[in-house]
Amino acid sequence: MRARFGIVAAILAAIATPAAAAEKASVGALAFVSSAPIFIAKEKGYFERQGLDVEVKFFQAAQPIAVAVASGDVDFGITGLTGGFFNLAAKGALKMVAAQSREEPGFNFVGYLVTPKAYEAGFKTVKDYPGKTVGITTVGSTFHYNIGMLADKYGFKLSDVSLKPLQTVPNMVAAMKGGQVDSILLPANQALGLERDGAGKIIGWVHEHTPWQLGALFTSTSNTTAKRSTVQKFVDAYVMACADYAAAFHDRDASGKRVFGPKADALIPILQKYVKPEPNADQVKASVSFIDPQGRLMVRDLYNQVAWYKAQGMVDASADAKTMMDLGFLKQHLDLPN
Amino acid sequence: MQLIARAVGHRYGALEVLAGIDIEVREGETLALIGPSGCGKSTLLGILGGMIEASAGSVELRGVPPAGCLNPLTYVFQDFALLPWRSVADNVALGLEHHAIGRRERKERIEAVLALTGLGDFADAYPRQLSGGMRQRVGIARAIAVRPAVLLMDEPLSALDAQTRELLQEELTAIWARERTTTVYVTHNLTEALHLADRVAVLSRRPGRLKQILEVPIPREERASPAHAPMLAQLHAALWDQIRVEAAAADREVADAG
Amino acid sequence: MPAEKQPVPFRGAGFDPTPRRFASWIAFAGILLAWQAASSTGLLPELFMPSPDAVLSALARMSASGELWLHLGTSIRRIVLGFLLGAFAGLLLGLAMGIFSMARAVGLPIVSALFPIPKIALLPLLILWFGIGETSKVATIALGVFFPTAVAAKTAVDGVARNLIRMAQSFGTPASAIVWKIVLPGALPGILGGLRIAASIALILVTAAEMIGAEYGVGALVLGAGNLMQTDKLVAGVVLLSLMGLAVSFGIGLLERRLLRWR
Repeated sequence: MRARFGIVAAILAAIATPAAAAEKASVGALAFVSSAPIFIAKEKGYFERQGLDVEVKFFQAAQPIAVAVASGDVDFGITGLTGGFFNLAAKGALKMVAAQSREEPGFNFVGYLVTPKAYEAGFKTVKDYPGKTVGITTVGSTFHYNIGMLADKYGFKLSDVSLKPLQTVPNMVAAMKGGQVDSILLPANQALGLERDGAGKIIGWVHEHTPWQLGALFTSTSNTTAKRSTVQKFVDAYVMACADYAAAFHDRDASGKRVFGPKADALIPILQKYVKPEPNADQVKASVSFIDPQGRLMVRDLYNQVAWYKAQGMVDASADAKTMMDLGFLKQHLDLPN
Repeated sequence: MQLIARAVGHRYGALEVLAGIDIEVREGETLALIGPSGCGKSTLLGILGGMIEASAGSVELRGVPPAGCLNPLTYVFQDFALLPWRSVADNVALGLEHHAIGRRERKERIEAVLALTGLGDFADAYPRQLSGGMRQRVGIARAIAVRPAVLLMDEPLSALDAQTRELLQEELTAIWARERTTTVYVTHNLTEALHLADRVAVLSRRPGRLKQILEVPIPREERASPAHAPMLAQLHAALWDQIRVEAAAADREVADAG
Repeated sequence: MPAEKQPVPFRGAGFDPTPRRFASWIAFAGILLAWQAASSTGLLPELFMPSPDAVLSALARMSASGELWLHLGTSIRRIVLGFLLGAFAGLLLGLAMGIFSMARAVGLPIVSALFPIPKIALLPLLILWFGIGETSKVATIALGVFFPTAVAAKTAVDGVARNLIRMAQSFGTPASAIVWKIVLPGALPGILGGLRIAASIALILVTAAEMIGAEYGVGALVLGAGNLMQTDKLVAGVVLLSLMGLAVSFGIGLLERRLLRWR
């Protein structure tokens, strides 16, 4: 009897430990091209090399990812930054540790799209926004912030723009096609598609007017203390993937036009495997945003974002941007405030 | 007024419920209609008042309507049929509302019939606040307020308890003594019929035919007197003999059908 | 039996609901106190559920800034307008279906087929037809109110005792007066019951209607607060919705007591 137990235990042990047990970690992401470094790090084995067994959990919207990280259901999250994110972070639950996409001059990401009718009627530049109706997803979304930045930069009142929360991007597109809004903001791939179909005119790109840090990799505050080495390993793998991504997708020719070489072609199948609905190579090329090659956050910009949301009353007045990030996992970040 | 039915027959689909009824209700009399369950008494009453369309035969009114008659053929219902959202006075008013009488006369008539039926103090009460007996008093008041030519009463006391029934029988006797309204009175209660009616018409089991019409040869006011008890008992026995055969047969039919 | 004395015990206690006037208030206060205590001691982290005093202060802040009244006023206008439109049309159709055989034959299958469709599913269509302005929001509420009102009115008319109608006919009451004096008052309890349900549906739908293109309104407040993870504002909005529900329930109760005194 005792002997048989010993055999079973030995077999179980052999199954359970194929190699030096990989540490499990999970990351919540959207099935978008902007989550690319996660997909690359996983497919190229960067996580594995750090001794991490990373599971990618897909979400339908950005908000639940932040909630899932705050509640400990997933270890990491990677999304765009919204008022909701900052409110959760302000309660001390979340810490940004590395950068995701940013609006970088020369790299088309989100564009301002107006209806042909509004365009004909003289809505030709972003300075014409006052008095217009604009479809956004939700209050406190990145689209909302983009218009807010325009208002600050060009000195018009945000309240002069009628913002219509429509919940989803398909609703926004429908409202624009139906002429119920004058303008919407859309990622390049969709914006170019609508312009090609004659459903809208692109009057500019966000990076031309207001470059900013669009998204971040974040984890829970408790992870940054209790599992600091795990976070470090994750960030290290993530940054390696960022470097690959930048090398593949950031090339531009002498005229400033983006070009895609063999490195891009090598990464595109990885993105196609994860992104839903599966894009073709051209769609990937139209969608790849700028991601800092070293994963560095534009810190001062994050402070500005929190200040803006606070000024709008969308983020609690007691919120402090400083407490929402842990900058210790990278050697350096960008544009640190004094 | 007289109410005359000729060769009245009725069927519900294939089911024949009344056949060849010839009946004359005389001016000022109370005619009781009795018969076994399901013999079509209530159907006949409905036909007499124009609420059910006869399959055969005809019904006519003859004579001069009483003064102030607003609704010649007026019913009193077994289930009272009072509007629960109207007060006693307003329930009585219903029958007066769509006729050319002045506000003042309407008020006077209501007060008069309420006094006659002992409802004077309950004019503003709602039906739910009244006992069954009081409710049927409202039904009777509503009917006599329109000064009907013929009063059609469909088992008016059968939903009441025995004591209330006796009381109301006495009151009906008193009212009839005053108003002399021609009345057809459907009941399954032989004692009630003998107590209230001038004549008792007996219907056979389904399809109902007129079997017999029996005169009650005692003035109505005297029927409570013990002196007439033997005679009433005799009449009761005679009626029961008629009905019993029919009722037993009808009961078996129902049982067979079930 | 031996000549022993056996007392007869009382066995008929219980199963006899009697009104307890203050029990509900005490229970409500108890829950609030427990909630506040759990929040204050940190047992219930602010991250997951705001404390009652945070909710109260959110309400106070919004009230002071006027935001609260803007949200409330906007929603109440939409609810009242949508409710009146839907209830009026529903009553007309329901009564017609109850009274006229033709209206019933045509209307009933259509109403039965459309009633169970969640009106929220129709929102995109309503937006295509009526745009993202007030019309589509009022239409969503009106549509949600229309069907239960129509069905309740039809059922209520069906439930009016036939003997009362026959009685009125036997007194020579004209058909139109029978509708006014017998059918409508007889159907009133059922109709009011239907309106009570319809009013709750209107409250539920205002949140859905305000999902699309609404800057103000209690529904927009709740959704916006949810998007911004402002849980104190979110719970404050939910409190407003439930207060509106209580107010509607109270109002209909008042109407019932007034119109149905005879019951």
